[in-house]
Amino acid sequence: MTPQRRIAVTGVGVVCALGTGAAAVWESLRAGRSAIRPIELLDTSRIGFHSAAEASGYDPAAHFSPSQLDHLDRFAQLALVAAREAVRDSGIAWTPALRERTAIVTGSSVGGQTTEDVGFDDVYRRGRPRVHPLTIPRTMANAATSQISMEFGLTGPAFTISTACSSSNHAFAQALALLRSGAADAAIAGGSEAPFSFGLLKAWEAMRVVAPDTCRPFCRDRKGMILGEGGAMLLLEPLEAAQARGAKIYAELAGAGMSADAHHLTQPTIEGPARAMRIALSDAGLAPEEIGYINAHGTGTPGNDPAETRAIKEVFGAAAERVPISSTKSMHGHALGAAGAIEAVTTILAMREGYLPPTANFTQADPACDLDYIPNTARAANVGAALSNSFAFGGLNAVIAFRAWPR
Amino acid sequence: MPEDLAEKVISILASVKHIPREKITLESSLADLGFDSLDTISMLFELESAFQISIPDDRARSIRYVHEIVSGIRTLLAEQSASGSSLESVPSE
Repeated sequence: MTPQRRIAVTGVGVVCALGTGAAAVWESLRAGRSAIRPIELLDTSRIGFHSAAEASGYDPAAHFSPSQLDHLDRFAQLALVAAREAVRDSGIAWTPALRERTAIVTGSSVGGQTTEDVGFDDVYRRGRPRVHPLTIPRTMANAATSQISMEFGLTGPAFTISTACSSSNHAFAQALALLRSGAADAAIAGGSEAPFSFGLLKAWEAMRVVAPDTCRPFCRDRKGMILGEGGAMLLLEPLEAAQARGAKIYAELAGAGMSADAHHLTQPTIEGPARAMRIALSDAGLAPEEIGYINAHGTGTPGNDPAETRAIKEVFGAAAERVPISSTKSMHGHALGAAGAIEAVTTILAMREGYLPPTANFTQADPACDLDYIPNTARAANVGAALSNSFAFGGLNAVIAFRAWPR
Repeated sequence: MPEDLAEKVISILASVKHIPREKITLESSLADLGFDSLDTISMLFELESAFQISIPDDRARSIRYVHEIVSGIRTLLAEQSASGSSLESVPSE
């Protein structure tokens, strides 16, 4: 049997509440600085919560012309900014042949719904006779993928995955499959989300899962999740190709595991997430003992954190107590369909820099969450392999595994 | 006030395409100005909103030049006032 193609990460790009660009984001992660603040993008006086992790340092005009912005909902802007950085960072040289063989797989839960919200507000509430004609092309969830394809002239397989909070990790899993199978020779994969519109925030309020203060994953006094926004992309290519062109290799995307709970729209199971982690480990050829860091799904909701803790214990057994775990959502918020991508970049940088970002805002552990969550302060660690978890509403789980690459 | 009408149309086109209005004359064609299909539907939206008219698809499709837009809008405004049909009501903000 031919050995499976190994897939390298050779470029990273990220924009979120922690900053624009991997260097700025890493600096905040390393410092354990939470970017959760009062919402500024819209008036929250009629919304039951007022905190979020907005990409407040991101200035659209610094990245796009007015004509480009006409065509770009914020979620597509964030995807493009991240993709540009990942491509630039990778130093990849596009040839006509490679352009045809490069895949783009992006995740987004709600796509350009901010644009849709404005258009529907115009006709429903303001009584205007028409909706702006760019509403459809700006709103469609694949707009981010299409914009990346046009920006770089990439004509290979390109599509978008929408599995709520697991969207990005499912996107990585699909990119990995395309590259391993030889259906593509390079891929831009990740996700983006920009959920700050009045209608959507009211819908989140009604779910009663958003914290009024901040996000304290795994803590006794946690009060829920905090919404975030952002975009993050990885440039992926076969290890051999990366080595042949002398590329900087961040890590190996070693495996992915996917599962469905088949249980409930919002209540997680233990077995579904556990199975996704097990499959990711086995797909990557890793034993639980080899994992030196888990970037947890860690939403800070009452339901997720104990369930994820139990799932980790089930998979890792005795090793569960030794594996450092953190939820960086405590800093960059829960960016829904972009969460897995922001957390993948976080995990890769953590392995490369030798520091594990903490769970910020940590007070006192919930007795039902009794593992090592790296409270508040980043920790030096030499990590050989890591997992990044995403578990979506709807019971759809996707976990990815990275293997460190020597600098 | 035909001059004002033309001026208003040119301003809208300039704003939709993000180009200086000096680049646009009544003789300019939309193609010369670089309008693609998305620019064109955006322009139609802005014209409809500004003049409180409804531009039917069949008339919109035949537009090539700026002067055709101006005369087309003039015709639509005249038709709407002659038929007594009220202009589209747009609630004030």
